[in-house]
Amino acid sequence: MPGQTGIDPATLPDPIRTELEAPDPVAIDTSSKELEDGVNRCPKCGSTDVRQKPGTDLLVCLYCRNQWQSTRVEEQFGLGEGLDQLRGTVIASGARDIAADAKSMMTFKCSGCGAEVTINTANAMTARCHWCRHVLGVNEQIANGAVPDAVLPFHIKKDDAVARIRQFVDKRRLFALKEFKEQFTPENVVGVYLPYMIVDGNASADIGGQGEIKTREYTQGSGDDKKTYYDADVYRVDRHVDFTVDDLPLESSVERGNLDTRTNTNNIINTILPFDTKNAVKWNASYLAGFTSEKRDRDVESLRPHLEDQLLSIARAQVEDSVKRYDRGVRWEQEQLDVYGTRWVSMYLPVWLYSYHQPGSNGGLLHYIAVNGRTGETMGSVPVQQWKLLTTALTVGTFIEGIALWIVGHSS
Amino acid sequence: MSDDGGLWLLAAGPAGATALYWALYRYYRNTDKSHAFERETKVEAKPVTGSDSKVDEIKGTREKRIRGDNVTAYRTRVKRIRGDTS
Repeated sequence: MPGQTGIDPATLPDPIRTELEAPDPVAIDTSSKELEDGVNRCPKCGSTDVRQKPGTDLLVCLYCRNQWQSTRVEEQFGLGEGLDQLRGTVIASGARDIAADAKSMMTFKCSGCGAEVTINTANAMTARCHWCRHVLGVNEQIANGAVPDAVLPFHIKKDDAVARIRQFVDKRRLFALKEFKEQFTPENVVGVYLPYMIVDGNASADIGGQGEIKTREYTQGSGDDKKTYYDADVYRVDRHVDFTVDDLPLESSVERGNLDTRTNTNNIINTILPFDTKNAVKWNASYLAGFTSEKRDRDVESLRPHLEDQLLSIARAQVEDSVKRYDRGVRWEQEQLDVYGTRWVSMYLPVWLYSYHQPGSNGGLLHYIAVNGRTGETMGSVPVQQWKLLTTALTVGTFIEGIALWIVGHSS
Repeated sequence: MSDDGGLWLLAAGPAGATALYWALYRYYRNTDKSHAFERETKVEAKPVTGSDSKVDEIKGTREKRIRGDNVTAYRTRVKRIRGDTS
């Protein structure tokens, strides 16, 4: 059998034996068996014309007006509990590895009329059968990463998002690129569900370095040669912290996870985190009707270095208060992280995105203005009119220089 | 006033221009912003433990802070010690 060595594990040293006998990563099964044929029916009348009721977490049947809500994953799968007991890697079924041969195009046989309907899961999760007008949604957790464990429905409505974007840009008009201002139409904002991994972790960190405490401060010399000197005690500082992290969001798309501000403005979308992920509901494609979506293309293992990096940053922030007495600061020199357990849940989170493409070398730059679809937090990148900004800076610089010259001229 | 103090003032023009340029540029483009996960994530930590031992004394330095102070630079990684488990 694959994975078996033919050696009795009992004869091996303890650490190797524990590793061999350790159970496979435990999965939380979040799949919805009842929805796998691609048809989301209203539980009351059976119609498939189901949509999210704007501004709420409810689904509404457009035929009989029945309203209901998908279960919250937090309670159903106990995602907020036992963080300090977390061991190993727990992966929910929607966060499993993406199969190498998985396609983003999916074809369904419409259960209403038998016609074939294709959905490109790279940017949509629902489609209407053009023969019988049944709405089909992708609910089966296929191994292409398109179906997450949970979804957080939009609460901020489009009008609200448009108003927030307009307000953001109105504060940044003077030096904005002329073309940007001319083409500014916030009504073109698009609601997008972006893929994230929501990670819980149980870890500990050890950080070591040197700190200094000032013991004396004195000045020597007189007049212009007056210099301040300091005496200090140097300490070797070591700190240890055990901590758990609840619902840390990580971008699970290669493109969105690239936060290099020289080539893209994805840091804008990163800034509007976090979301109230505690309120996420179990996946139901009907929540995505009328919105676009982006598919997850990163697995748990490829995100692990990124997670460890963030856990170390959190640990450093946690120990900061304990080194306050080092009034000359601390220079951390080494750090160690032990991750005991992690739990990974994939989620679609709602973002209103307005984009403007600024032409330039290397394909230009895509500027985003993003509104968090739950909290309304808004952040954006407004392209600047370089010559205007430079002229202003130079004018002000010249003015200051004039005053400086006047002072120098009159003092000597 | 010495010549030294006067010449130092002449740098005010270029410095002011550069500072204004960067301040405005960042206000428009927000290139320095990102998710402050250190503060905005729910973290439950047990009390921090550790040790402090005096190793040296410094006399008469002119530096106001320790060299390489990184106590608030949470995201600057330092040498990573790998334990047995990782």
